[in-house]
Amino acid sequence: MGVKFASKDKAIKAKSKSGQKGEKSFGWKLLIPVLAFFGFFNIVPTLWMLGLSFNDYKLISSNAPHYVGLSNYQSFLADQQVAHAVNRTFVFLAFAIIFQTTLGILIGVLFWRNDKLRGRRLALTLLFTPMVVTPVASALFWKLILDPNFGVGNYFLQIFGIAKIDVLTSQSLAFPTLLVVDTWMWTPFMALMTLAALGSVPKAELEAASIDRLPLFTVIKTVVWPHAKFILMLGILLRSIDAFKTMDLSLIMTDGGPGDKTELIALSLYRYAFKSFNLGYSSAISVFLLFIAISLTSIYLYVLNLKSRKEA
Amino acid sequence: MNHNQTKIDRRSFLKVGATAAAAVPLSGLMASNNVAEAADNPLMGSSATNMKGKVLDFAYSRIAGWPPSAAPEAMWPAFQAFAKKTYGYTVNKITFAEAGFGDLFQKIAPTLASKSQQFNIMVVDSQWLGALAEPGWIVKADDVFKLNPTMDKKPYSSLVTSTYQVYPDGSGKRWGFPQMPDVQGVYLRKDMLDDPKEQAAFKAKYGKKLPVTYAEYENIEQSEFEKVIEFFHRPDKGMYGTTMMYDKSYDMFSCAYYPFAYSTGGKIWDAKTNNVYGILNSAVNAKAMEHFVGLKKYQPANFAKIDIGGVIDLFTKGKVFSAYQWCAVGLAMKSDMVPIEKVMAIPLPKFNGKIIGAMGGQPWVINAYNDADHMRVAVDFLKWWQSKEAQDLFILKNGGLPWTAADCANPAYANFAHYVKPFLYMLKEGRSIDFWHLPEYSEMLAVQQEAFNGFAAGTVKSAAHALEYAAAKQQQILFKAGRTKTAPPKGTDSMTL
Repeated sequence: MGVKFASKDKAIKAKSKSGQKGEKSFGWKLLIPVLAFFGFFNIVPTLWMLGLSFNDYKLISSNAPHYVGLSNYQSFLADQQVAHAVNRTFVFLAFAIIFQTTLGILIGVLFWRNDKLRGRRLALTLLFTPMVVTPVASALFWKLILDPNFGVGNYFLQIFGIAKIDVLTSQSLAFPTLLVVDTWMWTPFMALMTLAALGSVPKAELEAASIDRLPLFTVIKTVVWPHAKFILMLGILLRSIDAFKTMDLSLIMTDGGPGDKTELIALSLYRYAFKSFNLGYSSAISVFLLFIAISLTSIYLYVLNLKSRKEA
Repeated sequence: MNHNQTKIDRRSFLKVGATAAAAVPLSGLMASNNVAEAADNPLMGSSATNMKGKVLDFAYSRIAGWPPSAAPEAMWPAFQAFAKKTYGYTVNKITFAEAGFGDLFQKIAPTLASKSQQFNIMVVDSQWLGALAEPGWIVKADDVFKLNPTMDKKPYSSLVTSTYQVYPDGSGKRWGFPQMPDVQGVYLRKDMLDDPKEQAAFKAKYGKKLPVTYAEYENIEQSEFEKVIEFFHRPDKGMYGTTMMYDKSYDMFSCAYYPFAYSTGGKIWDAKTNNVYGILNSAVNAKAMEHFVGLKKYQPANFAKIDIGGVIDLFTKGKVFSAYQWCAVGLAMKSDMVPIEKVMAIPLPKFNGKIIGAMGGQPWVINAYNDADHMRVAVDFLKWWQSKEAQDLFILKNGGLPWTAADCANPAYANFAHYVKPFLYMLKEGRSIDFWHLPEYSEMLAVQQEAFNGFAAGTVKSAAHALEYAAAKQQQILFKAGRTKTAPPKGTDSMTL
């Protein structure tokens, strides 16, 4: 009998093992479409871009691509105009993240746990509208509002006896104006992330803190932040990557002008790639931007996991 | 006379006679084979039979927001009827793609690079000829003219050929078929000029008569014209003296500025050596740019963002007295507020009796990757485009402008609208010039526009610096592309605006 049971047990174990194996391979099979898609649309183009960055290739030339080594990277590093565009983009990113995160958190907190607030739904819907409008449409809309001759913005300024301001061609105001419009567009996203982050805080812990009458700062530090930080940092990460890629606003509103005052690196890249069709050089810039995006992600993830690593 | 020498024996006579008799039908056969071969060549267009009964779709590209480029849309039904009647085929669906001046090239270039016939025929800008011709994306117009000599019409001036057809410059090789040429002029508010009170006030202020008629403006000096602009500049009443294009996009600033440079002796490059540095960055050009930008004092605050559309808006909404603008948009330079009776177009004012404006306008080009049927339709269309029926529709109904010597002499076209007269004036030999047709035009233009617009907006310290920067960078672009042997100056990479 014992032998029988043992062999049965073995058989069951073997069956379950083969079942597990089958499940695993089935799981892998399910992943094939996604992996194929990822490979075809992400890996292959990225490798292609990397390869192109070592070649001199212009789409409008009859010459085939030819290997030039690091020449495109050398040109890119020596190009002071591109360096200025990169610096400008970092400044844009920093201010955009600071403004949008601060305002987003404030708005998020305002709506948090205020379910019975009258008009909450309508207010939230209106608040999130800028985020869902196509960026090009938003940019065009603001460009028209700010037009000094026909724009409604300047019309109202005039009504109040204030002189017309042409912000989009002003050397000192064009860049801040882009920041304001970007903040108008993307603060709702950070508010949404804040609401999601605050929603992830367990009610029981909040109630306990309330019963213990902990000071607000302590509640935020010990109860809210540990839970909310992941979603909030994810929001900041997504916005950072997105802000670094901003092109539509400056293309439509100012075309990078006046002069090059609002020329962000994505716009420069667009010009090199799709206006001049200088695919080798623009691939080198793209590789650089890719590294920056990866670096940003790594930094955020590192900061985010710092505490857990220490604890481990 | 030695009869023996001239005497042909009977055998020889019969041989020659037989050969000649055989050669006649043989040569006829060979000739008919050649004709048949030529007729079979799609670049000849359709014959009465080879497209009969076929049904096909056709696609073209055009420049958005540019009336002459949009005109064919209204004319397609007439071509469809013509094709059906003349060749017996049906052009079922005609589709188009459009984009602004700066963006259309990027729309069509990838399709051509992938050898697609997404656009069978294209309205393109003259600057793009080199970029389209060098990779072999478009059909050589000379090949079409060889098979269809009647299409090779005498132009009104050599400017038509050099601007819209030839690449490389001076080579005589033609790629484009003129859609319509364009030149620059100035649109004036005739009603304001005709006002006796204004005339009296001008006389009181300047001690001279206010020029009123076209004849008085045809040879007006820029300095004199600026007095008229100054006189009508009343910003407190929402009326500005003039508007010009200083915008950064595409070639807006460049084309508006060029007349100031060309007419005062400036040059922008050497087409023979492809050198820019030392030519564009000249003192004459810097002075001309300072003059051009100095006119901002008579313009709205956002002058540095004004493009073609902006000029139309300001003029048609009654915000400006005058507008430096292309003749091609003459039909658009009117509105309910400023009807056509209140508008008068004049040529560009002169600089010490001389004027050289910038050329505008566009050619048609044919996609080299068209299949035989679409190629025939493209050629048929271009033949039809030159017909009286099409030109009547284009010029008299859709605001187009003529370009052949015969059409320009046609009083029905020449007197059709107020903007045709200055157009013909500026299209005469030597009164306008086009700029680079090189494949690198886009990079060169982007560099230049950024620098020039920066000077207008005040972000670049001087005109001389803007020109120095543009010249060095353009020289670098051409040097890297192998177009010139002259290297850019040292430190070009580290140059900034």
